[in-house]
Amino acid sequence: MSSELNIREDYSDNEVMVYLSGEVDIYNSQELKEKLYKIIDDNRKDLKIDCTELNYIDSTGLGIFVGALKKVKQYDKKIYICRLKENIKKLFVITGLDKLFIIEE
Amino acid sequence: MFTEADNIEIILPFKAEYVSVVRLTVSGIASRMGFDIDSIEDIKVAVSEVCNKLVALGSNVAPGYKIIFSISDKSLDIHFYCEDKSIKCIFGDGNDELGVSLISALMDDVSLCSENDYIIYMSKAIEENI
Repeated sequence: MSSELNIREDYSDNEVMVYLSGEVDIYNSQELKEKLYKIIDDNRKDLKIDCTELNYIDSTGLGIFVGALKKVKQYDKKIYICRLKENIKKLFVITGLDKLFIIEE
Repeated sequence: MFTEADNIEIILPFKAEYVSVVRLTVSGIASRMGFDIDSIEDIKVAVSEVCNKLVALGSNVAPGYKIIFSISDKSLDIHFYCEDKSIKCIFGDGNDELGVSLISALMDDVSLCSENDYIIYMSKAIEENI
């Protein structure tokens, strides 16, 4: 019944890579928020979010990315959003978030 | 080919876990109508944004909200209803800029603050898709 979201992290010296797969929606967005915020606070490194296998995100998910961006900026770090599918990249463009984040192919 | 509007109704509780059910439902309907994949994604996102807001608001009066999908050979028209008449103009508080911008951009016709018996109306034309 619920939408599936899987979150996996990979740590290196300079950054944390977060792999998202499945769907981010109102049902599981709190889980994403808690995970991202903890990663940011615990590591204080640049965050790269790999969206290769992310199929869907809604405004609650986008809002969490914005909140995470504010948080990394407190530590003078950056968020890179990587390998967005076209349907999701479109949402970043519509909302203007493509100007806020560093979007990488 | 649809010659006149067919209606499909779905009634949902104000619970976040069922928003994905709406996405699956509307995907099936839009696919059946012949929308392309990009348009189906647009409709899914727009419909979900309304559901998100309704779930966030909830109601002490009504057990749920109703969505009617009206299928014609020209468009998919979607109306949201709720028995709780205090639920009106749900995006009027200005707290959902991301959601409103997505709905407005992704659908062809939108009425977010209706004076009619429905809460929200949105429509996606199919002409250019077939």
